[in-house]
Amino acid sequence: MGSLFRSETMCLAQLFLQSGTAYECLSALGEKGLVQFRDLNQNVSSFQRKFVGEVKRCEELERILAYLVQEINRADIPLPEGETSPPAPPLKQVLEMQEQLQKLEVELREVTKNKEKLRKNLLELIEYTHMLRVTKTFVKRNVEFEPTYEEFPPLENDSLLDYSCMQRLGAKLGFVSGLINQGKVEAFEKMLWRVCKGYTIVTYAELDEPLEDPETGEVIKWYVFLISFWGEQIGHKVKKICDCYHCHVYPYPNTAEERKEIQEGLNTRIQDLYTVLHKTEDYLRQVLCKAAESVYSHVIQVKKMKAIYHMLNMCSFDVTNKCLIAEVWCPEADLHELRRALEEGSRESGATIPSFMNTIPTKETPPTLIRTNKFTEGFQNIVDAYGVGSYREVNPALFTIITFPFLFAVMFGDFGHGFVMFLFALLLVLNENHPRLNQSQEIMRMFFNGRYILLLMGLFSVYTGLIYNDCFSKSVNLFGSGWSVSAMYSSSHTPAEQKKMGLWNDSVVRHNRVLQLDPSIPGVFQGPYPLGIDPIWNLATNRLTFLNSFKMKMSVILGIIHMTFGVILGIFNHLHFRKKFNIYLVSVPELLFMLCIFGYLIFMIVYKWLVYSAETSRVAPSILIEFINMFLFPASETNGLYSGQEHVQRLLLAVAALAVPVLFLGKPLFLLWLHNGRSCFGVSRSGYTLVRKDSEEEVSLLGSQDIEEGNNQIEDGYREMMCEEFNFGEILMTQVIHSIEYCLGCISNTASYLRLWALSLAHAQLSDVLWTMLVRVGLRVDTTYGVLLLLPVIALFAVLTIFILLIMEGLSAFLHAIRLHWVEFQNKFYVGAGTKFVPFSFRLLSSKFSDDVA
Amino acid sequence: MLEGAEFYFNVDHGYLEGLVRGCKASLLTQQDYINLVQCETLEDVKIHLQTTDYGNFLANQTNPLTVSKIDTEMRKKLCREFEYFRNHSLEPLSTFFTYMTCSYMIDNVILLMNGALQKKSVKEILVKCHPLGRFTEMEAVNIAETPSDLFNAVLVETPLAPFFQDCMSENTLDELNIELLRNKLYKSYLEAFYKFCKNHGDVTAEIMCPILEFEADRRAFIITLNSFGTELSKDDRETLYPTCGKLYPEGLRLLAQAEDFDQMKRVADHYGVYKPLFEAVGDGSGGKTLEDVFYEREVQMNVLAFNRQFHYGVFYAYTKLKEQEMRNIVWIAECISQRHRTKINSYIPIL
Repeated sequence: MGSLFRSETMCLAQLFLQSGTAYECLSALGEKGLVQFRDLNQNVSSFQRKFVGEVKRCEELERILAYLVQEINRADIPLPEGETSPPAPPLKQVLEMQEQLQKLEVELREVTKNKEKLRKNLLELIEYTHMLRVTKTFVKRNVEFEPTYEEFPPLENDSLLDYSCMQRLGAKLGFVSGLINQGKVEAFEKMLWRVCKGYTIVTYAELDEPLEDPETGEVIKWYVFLISFWGEQIGHKVKKICDCYHCHVYPYPNTAEERKEIQEGLNTRIQDLYTVLHKTEDYLRQVLCKAAESVYSHVIQVKKMKAIYHMLNMCSFDVTNKCLIAEVWCPEADLHELRRALEEGSRESGATIPSFMNTIPTKETPPTLIRTNKFTEGFQNIVDAYGVGSYREVNPALFTIITFPFLFAVMFGDFGHGFVMFLFALLLVLNENHPRLNQSQEIMRMFFNGRYILLLMGLFSVYTGLIYNDCFSKSVNLFGSGWSVSAMYSSSHTPAEQKKMGLWNDSVVRHNRVLQLDPSIPGVFQGPYPLGIDPIWNLATNRLTFLNSFKMKMSVILGIIHMTFGVILGIFNHLHFRKKFNIYLVSVPELLFMLCIFGYLIFMIVYKWLVYSAETSRVAPSILIEFINMFLFPASETNGLYSGQEHVQRLLLAVAALAVPVLFLGKPLFLLWLHNGRSCFGVSRSGYTLVRKDSEEEVSLLGSQDIEEGNNQIEDGYREMMCEEFNFGEILMTQVIHSIEYCLGCISNTASYLRLWALSLAHAQLSDVLWTMLVRVGLRVDTTYGVLLLLPVIALFAVLTIFILLIMEGLSAFLHAIRLHWVEFQNKFYVGAGTKFVPFSFRLLSSKFSDDVA
Repeated sequence: MLEGAEFYFNVDHGYLEGLVRGCKASLLTQQDYINLVQCETLEDVKIHLQTTDYGNFLANQTNPLTVSKIDTEMRKKLCREFEYFRNHSLEPLSTFFTYMTCSYMIDNVILLMNGALQKKSVKEILVKCHPLGRFTEMEAVNIAETPSDLFNAVLVETPLAPFFQDCMSENTLDELNIELLRNKLYKSYLEAFYKFCKNHGDVTAEIMCPILEFEADRRAFIITLNSFGTELSKDDRETLYPTCGKLYPEGLRLLAQAEDFDQMKRVADHYGVYKPLFEAVGDGSGGKTLEDVFYEREVQMNVLAFNRQFHYGVFYAYTKLKEQEMRNIVWIAECISQRHRTKINSYIPIL
């Protein structure tokens, strides 16, 4: 059955890695991704492990690289991503790489620091020039309406307009000027007012162009302000407030000449700074460009190196400290690959003693590995979402490949819709190597990953659509209907006969709104339609009644077959795990219970289909009544389906009733008997077990290294097993719960399968509604306008079909199909308590930059 | 607030409450502390913290690592979270948040004024200020010379303004007066916060009032303890006690008369809540200090706050728990860096 039926056999292997070659060996293993490491140092906290220093070094390198990437991104230099991933760096190169990177970092930091300093200088100078320019207009205004100074002696007041006088006054009159962030202006002014009690005059103007903040690099709006104040004390306060609001304060020139001088000086300095800054930036760019070339491979290499050391941290040292011992899970099929990888690693490092491995027997449950390909992957994911299978358990994914799309299609049965879905999936499948699809996001990704599921779902829907004879809710008449209306007019009979047989004549046709075709009249029903439902039903008013009866019965039949199959798969599990008693005590009673009740229901359905024909249909009993009567034993006789029905039903019911106590008590009692039996028969049996115990011990000792520990482990394991058997109450409880769940589940799960009918009905009705509401309206209008109207109508029809019928209905059918598999099917046999096999593989590391920047 | 706040609570604050509960789950566990205590160097601490929710918050720190670097980064992290809560909050939760920051603001103002008194530069002290209590006007604090000055000039527009009613005076700000100012501010702050929670009603009041009552009483005890042997008069002392606690009014009166620790303990004996706390205090050498005992009690109350839903207390409790956790980490880190391992275990575990 291949690897999809059961997970692969695993073995626990011990790797003896010579300490000199361990790194290379793990690098080789990581490239191949063969094995899953077990943590042998679980009770050692992360910072006390052996290779923590190396991990730290990797982190340091990662930090430098993150810094580099950040700088490179900031400089807008494209980062080339290599196609091939470079192998983990050999140990000798690591030091070199580290040195190189550290040197680069130091250089880069220095250059950027210089650059920042220059930039800051430049920005400050620019601010200063702006300030000078703006404040020039202030002074005149300031001086002109200066009411504060009116209390000064008139002599001075006169000469205030003159700058030279101002200078004399300067001892007392002070100016503070600078720039302030736009958002803070109001609070700044308020505080100035409160603190200086109005002994200041603030003038400010908005700067027309936003400038960069030299400290944060943000581009914001600034205000230029000029505070004139009088007195030393207030001056101190003003300065403090300016500090508080992070104003950029620049010295205020007192005379016009000074101002001019400063401005000229500033201009030349700005010019100089510009050139220097340009040169620095050019140099920085060069350095970054060079770094960008190798940064990708460095990032990957460091990641691999870090991964290797993390794995090495899971290994334990042997006594002599010369080699590392790692315990790994490896699929048996890959053992020779593992050996080859170890040899390769040893050879690469040029070690004299090669690393080697041996397998050790274990009682622990290995992880589950089911190899999938791009086709089976999606189905396996559906199963894994419920629970990863226990080790070597029957894997339902194999059967899901067919049953899942089929059950979906039963609910989604429409030829047209199925075909559209099939085309969509086919498009995805044909273009699956397209890079845009591979990198698509979210919803599209979901569709892409499930493309093969979609493909099969579409195909099966086409099939069920043909069976239901539904194509966008319309039937297709491919082979010609098996019903003939003209036969109802048959003139070969006498009028009396016609009356008796219910044949039609003109008056009947004219006076009745609804006419009934009678299949018992010869010629009316010429035989079944070759494939699916006869298209004539599309015209019938009792179409829904007919389809409901058909679909309901079909759902029950499919459901019971599906569940029975689940129980049978359980038998495979019991056979494989060598628990034969489970077959007789659990699976067989389960099967009997199911088949005697619901299997018989299927039998009745099929029997009724086969035995009763159009002529005898009037006497056919209702299956529902018959089925209920099976449990109620009514006193009054009904005519029944066949003779002796009552006895058969009683027998079946008795079998089903007998299966229940077996199911409840069989397994626990058997286990109790096994346990007691062993101690009852005393000497001979215990002797036998002792021998077995010894041999078991020997086997495990062969593999395990230190004898004492192994012995203890086995003792423990044995005692555990004994303990388990002793706990009769628990086994009984589990079994009782399981049995109750099963027996009630048989009923509720069968009912649950009716969702097949319900959803298929809903789908058919919805598409029918869409047709009548839209297209029929469009078609009813006469030809001249109809053509114009039909175009938007069809467009609307297409859009609604896709969104409501394909996507919405499809999703709901998908969900119900998943539920039927997870609950109704898998709980019959699937435990799903395993852990997934996660190999140590470099391929699982992300090879994107975005991750390490974040 | 209408009856049955649970019907409306989630509309406005459901997202944040979910978020804060998620954050609470990221607090360090007992196992984490056990591992942290085993660390040999600060690098080890860093590596261990990486495995927790702190992540690589220290990744961009250049060597060598110091305790203060760890502390600053942790504070920054808490501050980021708090800012997020605050920016996404609606009234009245945002007022609640403002109240929460007020205590840090008071501490910062006092710290700055003390710094100014000792003629230290503002920049130097700004680094020490708690980021949660940062506000623009803060840096201008040293302009003021008297409390009323401080109020009029600097703090009148900050949330701290209402707390100044009781402490407007023209005294110059010397060390003692600053301490008095702090306690008075804190007193009116606690009372205002208590009133806010009480008025809010609902579960918030049920949760927050006991926490604030405890906080008030704790302050009363601590003030009493610190005032032994100082020139503070008993009447003055009484004016500093927050009056929203369980001790009010008899307990506070008795406490005002207390002259040594034993008398204080006798006062506490009248209260079922505080009696066991004072009994747990060890004598002199070994055992816990009163402060530690109070911290433990606080942690306990804060953890219990998470047992109820639809109230604001979780935000307060989370911030306090996180602070306690930071204190623990700093304590452990200090012990490690000073090679003083004997006391390393006296952190306060968060249950």
